[in-house]
Amino acid sequence: MEYNGSAIIAMKGKNCVAIAADRRFGVQALTLSTDFKKVFQMNERVFIGLPGLATDVQTLYERFRFKTNMYKLREEREITPSTFARMVSSTLYEKRFGPYFCEPVIAGLEKDGTPYICTMDLLGCITTPADFVVSGTASNQMYGMAESLWEPDLEPEELFETISQSLLNAVDRDAISGWGAVVHVITPERILTRTLKGRMD
Amino acid sequence: MSDRYSFSLTTFSPSGKLVQIEYALNAVAQGVTSIGIKATNGVVIATEKKVPSFLVDDSTMEKVSLICGNIGMVYSGMGPDARVLVDKARKSAQEYKKVYHEEPPTAMLVKEVATVMQEYTQSGGVRPFGVSLLIAGFDDTGPSLYQVDPSGSYWAWKASAIGKNMINAKTFLEKRYSSTMEIEDAVHNAILTLKEGFEGQMTESTIEIGIAQLEEITTKEGKKEKVGRFRKLTPSEIRDYLANIA
Amino acid sequence: MAMKVELPQKGFNFENFQRNAVLADKGYKAPKVTKTGTTICGCLYKDGLVLGADTRATEGPIVADKNCEKIHYLAPNMYCCGAGTAADCDHTTHLIESKLELHRLQTGRPSRVSTALTMLKQMLFRYQGQIGCALVLGGFDVNGPHLYTIYPHGSTDKLPYVTMGSGSLAAMAVFESRWRKDMEREEAAELVKDAISAGIFNDLGSGSNVDVCIITADGVDYRRGYDKPNQRGVKEQSYKFAKGTTAILTEDIRQFVDVVEGDAMDIS
Repeated sequence: MEYNGSAIIAMKGKNCVAIAADRRFGVQALTLSTDFKKVFQMNERVFIGLPGLATDVQTLYERFRFKTNMYKLREEREITPSTFARMVSSTLYEKRFGPYFCEPVIAGLEKDGTPYICTMDLLGCITTPADFVVSGTASNQMYGMAESLWEPDLEPEELFETISQSLLNAVDRDAISGWGAVVHVITPERILTRTLKGRMD
Repeated sequence: MSDRYSFSLTTFSPSGKLVQIEYALNAVAQGVTSIGIKATNGVVIATEKKVPSFLVDDSTMEKVSLICGNIGMVYSGMGPDARVLVDKARKSAQEYKKVYHEEPPTAMLVKEVATVMQEYTQSGGVRPFGVSLLIAGFDDTGPSLYQVDPSGSYWAWKASAIGKNMINAKTFLEKRYSSTMEIEDAVHNAILTLKEGFEGQMTESTIEIGIAQLEEITTKEGKKEKVGRFRKLTPSEIRDYLANIA
Repeated sequence: MAMKVELPQKGFNFENFQRNAVLADKGYKAPKVTKTGTTICGCLYKDGLVLGADTRATEGPIVADKNCEKIHYLAPNMYCCGAGTAADCDHTTHLIESKLELHRLQTGRPSRVSTALTMLKQMLFRYQGQIGCALVLGGFDVNGPHLYTIYPHGSTDKLPYVTMGSGSLAAMAVFESRWRKDMEREEAAELVKDAISAGIFNDLGSGSNVDVCIITADGVDYRRGYDKPNQRGVKEQSYKFAKGTTAILTEDIRQFVDVVEGDAMDIS
């Protein structure tokens, strides 16, 4: 986790969810890029954030993309976030004794529109709280921010501000994550994607 | 190395037929009749329980089998072959549950079983299964009824019959079927269809019925929920249905 | 065959093991796994047994989940509390649940607790303690109520009252002083609640709420959040930000549209 650095957070709102990530790609203290993708869209209503060792982030993304596409072709339906989370969990646990260094965050809307968020550890133990989830090297800082800023029933725009502020202020106290951020807000009507202006140091 | 010499028994005849598969269908056609009917709110599958001698303890016989929570199947044809398929179907249902933590959709399970049956028409050293299956399930898309044949081909049906009396039964079903039928009517009609060409006395111990429908269950977490379930009718339930017919 | 493309191979996959060992040598340790610090317990009473668990999951000193579920379903007449590595507890119990269901379908009768016990201990022994589950297994079968503990290495105990996890000492103290033979149902539930509470308040690895699961011949009464002694206080002020607080660089909005069936294409 400390090799590349990352910060990902997801929050539930009123009939919506948001997921946000920093954009730094670095090797230890050396920053190599500031537009690294860590949050991926699996289908219209399911996003996954993959913080951790960058090589595993990309390997896992390709595996999950393959698996969700196969699921869609075979079952002729879109995978729901909760089912997707179970699939991710089984994929990670398969490597129980040689895990990927990645603690995924999943956010999306279920078939009936209910918000779903979860995170899991590198072995695939799912945690599904009612409010928010954080993961990555800045997770301690984000826990603090989100515990104080989050409140129930936030509207999409309010949720955007809350999640953005939680992330931006947290990564300012983490040396190896930050360098800008990206936020996705998923509502039944639209997906809002914004990149944020953050400290570049 | 042994597989080098184990050629497939199923080879094309010059006219393009796979006679082994046709012979397998003949085995099915000798089997006891099974009926399946899809209703608006559920599916029913039913079959006759035929014992070779009245000395056989028929309470241990089981032709309608549970595959997983929401899916069940019945066969016509060779019992031992069907047992292999039931075992494989149950295992693949559990494998699905292991990955996704939910019951497999009926169509997925049918595909799995059909894949197995197809493999046995093309592999070396094996013969096709001597059974046709009726698979009934209730999932997110509602009730569904599938028939799978020894060739591995499968179709979804509104109502179907397999086994010895299938032609008459299908004609009967064509006359009786209505798209607005509910599950109780469907069970009733399934019994009536079985009764056509039934030899001997029809009692709760000579027929078997399974239904898939929405049922309220208590989830693992202790919450009440309505989900698709497959279950076999108890002898007393069957007796009630039979009493209504007589 | 199509399904095989996606389904995991049987058993565990060790392909990253060597790489991870190299990374560990260079000082990049694997991220901490989620543990259930945990107080779990169970006790027999007159008509059955009661299982109990706290609901805190930890990642090192961080609380990873404030309300997790540690009482896992195994069979309609059997539940199992898990302590230790959370992923191991989740997946091991789920694997046994699946095996028990197949066994039930094959035998056509309810699972026995000793069957589950044997499956669990054989699996854990096979992995020589590498699968970090400490379990409390409870169920009611044809032979009556049974309560077992299973240790990560595969050893087991059968006792009238048991505790496991980091809070096991605190919980056992309560049982040792107050457990009696043939208690009433609610009395037993309260005793389990107090035992778990002792863990919640005296063990740092345990916390939040008390879950209780009562198993009798008649069925299971799973009481999630039986006691909630650690409710979060209500926020007195709102910390909402005004719209526009966050500086945005780019914006992309993807609107979902409902596709309605249009007229058939003119192909004449």
